[in-house]
Amino acid sequence: MPAYLVSRLMLAVWVMFGVSSVVFFLIHWVPGDPVEVMLGESVSGADREALRHALGLDRPLLQQWGAFLYGVVRFDLGMSLHQREPVLSLLDERFVATAELAALAFVIAVLIAIPLGVVAAARKGTRWDTAAMGFSLLGLSIPNFWLGPLLVMLFSLGLGWFPVSGRSGFASLVLPAITLGTSLAAILSRMVRSSLLEVLDEDYIRTARAKGLGGYRVLLGHGLRNAWLPILTLLGMQLGALLGGAVVTEAVFNWPGLGSLLVESIQRRDYPVVQGCVLVISLSYVVINLCTDLAYAWADPRIRLDQESD
Amino acid sequence: MVKPLVVLLCCLALAACNPGDSAAICFALASAPADLDPRYATDATSQRINRLLYARLVDFDAQARPVPSLASWQQLGPFHYRFRLGAADRRFHDGQRLTAADVAATYRSILDPAGASPHRGALAHIGRIEVRDADTLDFFLDREDVLFPARLSIGILPASGIATGQSYHRQPLGSGPFRLYAWHDAARLELVRTGDEQHILFEQVSDPTMRVLKLLRGEVDLLQNDLPPELLQYLRERSDIEVQTRPGNTFAYIGFQMQDKDTGRRDVRRAIALAIDREAIIRYVFRDAARPASAVLPPEHWAGTELPPLRHDPAAARALLTRAGYSPQQPLRLSYKTSSDPFRLRIATILQRQLAQAGIEVAIRSYDWGTFYGDIKAGNFQMYSLSWVGEKSPDIFRYAFHSDSLPPRGANRGRFRDARVDDLIDSALTSSDEAEQAQYYAQLQRYLLEELPYVPLWYEDQFFAAGSGVAGYRLAGDGSYDALLHTTKQ
Repeated sequence: MPAYLVSRLMLAVWVMFGVSSVVFFLIHWVPGDPVEVMLGESVSGADREALRHALGLDRPLLQQWGAFLYGVVRFDLGMSLHQREPVLSLLDERFVATAELAALAFVIAVLIAIPLGVVAAARKGTRWDTAAMGFSLLGLSIPNFWLGPLLVMLFSLGLGWFPVSGRSGFASLVLPAITLGTSLAAILSRMVRSSLLEVLDEDYIRTARAKGLGGYRVLLGHGLRNAWLPILTLLGMQLGALLGGAVVTEAVFNWPGLGSLLVESIQRRDYPVVQGCVLVISLSYVVINLCTDLAYAWADPRIRLDQESD
Repeated sequence: MVKPLVVLLCCLALAACNPGDSAAICFALASAPADLDPRYATDATSQRINRLLYARLVDFDAQARPVPSLASWQQLGPFHYRFRLGAADRRFHDGQRLTAADVAATYRSILDPAGASPHRGALAHIGRIEVRDADTLDFFLDREDVLFPARLSIGILPASGIATGQSYHRQPLGSGPFRLYAWHDAARLELVRTGDEQHILFEQVSDPTMRVLKLLRGEVDLLQNDLPPELLQYLRERSDIEVQTRPGNTFAYIGFQMQDKDTGRRDVRRAIALAIDREAIIRYVFRDAARPASAVLPPEHWAGTELPPLRHDPAAARALLTRAGYSPQQPLRLSYKTSSDPFRLRIATILQRQLAQAGIEVAIRSYDWGTFYGDIKAGNFQMYSLSWVGEKSPDIFRYAFHSDSLPPRGANRGRFRDARVDDLIDSALTSSDEAEQAQYYAQLQRYLLEELPYVPLWYEDQFFAAGSGVAGYRLAGDGSYDALLHTTKQ
C-alpha cells in the first residue's frame, strides 16, 4: 500500500505539472492583455509599458513559465495582478468557502440519492419507482440558475428562514447547498438504482433471501454493498467537480468560492490567479481520485487482493 | 451514521459563521472594489469608494468644472501652478496632519516609474513639485496644459507611509470622511463614517436578481445602477422601495474602423446612424431610463453643446447605401463586436434587426471582456459598441479622436485621422479662456456628428433604490457614493 500511495503521488505531480503548464500557455495565448483590462478605457496616456514591466509581463514567455514553476516548488504562486495580493491568500480564502459548500451539497446529495435510488430499485415498476425517477428527472432538468432564485423566493422572501445570498453564517450555506445537492442527487439516484438492479439478480442475493433475511436487510447489507463501485466512481467525480467550484451556483448565491474566482480571473487575464486556481483544482481531482481508489479497496476487498497477487 | 453527520454539520456551522451587523447601512455593489490605494485604483467602484476614504486637491462641480477641494490654485505662468491647502482641519485617520509634503509625496510616488502607477501617463508632464511651506506647493509643467487642475483629483496619502513603502492596497489610510473598519472578505468591505461612527457595509452581489431580492428582504439597504431595466421597473412599482433616477453621463456609442473599405466611408456610417431607432430602444428596452445622445459629453457639461438629435429614417439609409453602390443583390455586410454581457448582447440583436430593415446585414461577434477589449485596442473590428463612463474632462476628445492618439498612445481605436478635428482639439487645448475653449469644443462636436467616427446612441440614467428606513441618499451625476456622508438608517 505505501508503494502504491507513493506512485500515485508521483503521478499526481506530473498531472499537476502538465495541467498547469497547458493552462499557462493557453491563457497567455488567448487574446487579451491584463494591463489593458486593468487600465480600462478611460485612463488616458497611462504608462502601459512601465506597468507591464513592473508586473513582469514583458519577459519572454518561457522565462515567465520558468518563474512560475520555480515559484510553485517554493509554494509561492506570486501576486494577483489585479488585486495585488498573494495568490495563496486569495486561494485560501476562496477554497474554504468552496469546501464548505461542497461538503454540505455532497451530504445533501447522498442523503437524497441513496434512499431514493434504493426505494426505486426495491419497488421497480411501481409508483414509488416512477415518483423517485420523476424527481430525479426533474432535478436533472432544472438548471441551478433557475432553482436558486426559486428557493430564495420561497424560503428567504416567503418564509424568511434563510438569507438570500452571501456567506454570512451557516444559514446562508443551506440554500446554495440544496441547489447544488439536488442536481447531484438526481444523477446519483439513477446510478444507485441501476447498480442495485444489476446486483439484485445475482445468486448471492437469492441465497440471502433463501436464508430468510428481510427484504431491506438483503437490499442494504448485500445488494448495496456490492453495488458500491460505480456509485463510488460517480461520487468521486462529483466531489472533484464540486471542489473545482460550482460557478453558476456561486454566482447566483454570491458565494465567494473558487469557481467564481477562476472565472473573474480569466476575464481579467489575471494570469497568476488563474494558474493558482487550476493548480488547486487539479490537486483536488488527484486527491479525490486517490481517495476513490482507496474506497474501492474498502468496498470490494478483491481489488486489494488482486493488487497483492500482482 | 447520525453522530458523524451531526458533528459535520456543527463543524460547518462554526466554519461558516460570521457576525452580522444590522445597524450598518448595507450597500450592494455589482462588483467589489479591487484596490483602495488611489495611486493604483482604476475600476469605477474602487475610485468611488476611494473618494470616501481620501481627501483630494481638486473636485468637480455639476458642470464638471474643477473646483477647490483640499486646495485652491493659481496659475502663475503657463507652466506653473501654485496650490494652497485650505484652513480646514486636515487630518489623516491616524491623527497626522495633512500637509503640502503629503501632497507632494503622493504625486511624486505616482510619477516614479518604479511604482508603475496607471495614472502616471496623465501626469507625466509634471516636471517638478516644490513644497514651499506646510500649506503651499508648486507644480512646474514641461508643457502647457489648461486642463491641469482637473487632473489632480487623486486621493492624498501620508508621506511617512509612502517613504517606508507601506502598502495601502487593502489597508487604506486617508483623510476623507470615512475610514476603513474591516475588509471582511473579497465581497464585503466595511467603512465607518468618522463624524458619527455610522458603519457602511459594501457587499458585492454580482447577480442583479439577487441584489433586488436582498433589497426586498432588507438584507441590503441600498443599490445603485447596474440593474436590467425590467428589474428597475419592478422596483419602481413597489411601494416599500424608494427609487430615484437622474440623467447620467455614461455615453454609449457605436465605433467604426475608419481604415475599413466599408465603415471607412462616411455614407455607410450615416446610413447606419439613420437606420437606428434610438427612441424605440430607449422606450421599450431602457423603459425610459436613458436619453438620446449626440456627442460624447452631455449638453450640461461646460464643454458640451446642444446638438440636433440623429433622426431615424430607414428609407434615407437605403437611399444612401444605393448611392454608395450597395443593393439587395450586393448588400452591405458588417461584423459587429460586443462583449458577452447579456444586456449588451440583447441591444446588439435589436440593432442587428434595425439595420437589417435598412438592408444592412450584421453578424454579431460576442466575446468575453478580455478578448473583446484586446480586439478593440488592436483595431481588429469593423464596428463595435462600448460606453465612456463618468467622463469629466474634455480631454476625452484628444484621447479618442486626435490623430496623435492612435493606440497605444490613446483611444483612437478606429484610426480616425482628420486635420480639422486635430486643429480644433489643439486650439481648445491651448486656449486659456474657458468660453473660447467651449466654443472650439462645440464646433468639434458638430463636426464629429457630421463625420460620425462614432454613432452616438444614448446616455444611461443614474438610479438608486433604497429600502424603508434609509434616508438622505441622493444621486450624484457621476455615480459617486458621496451622498453616503448624509445617509441615515432608522
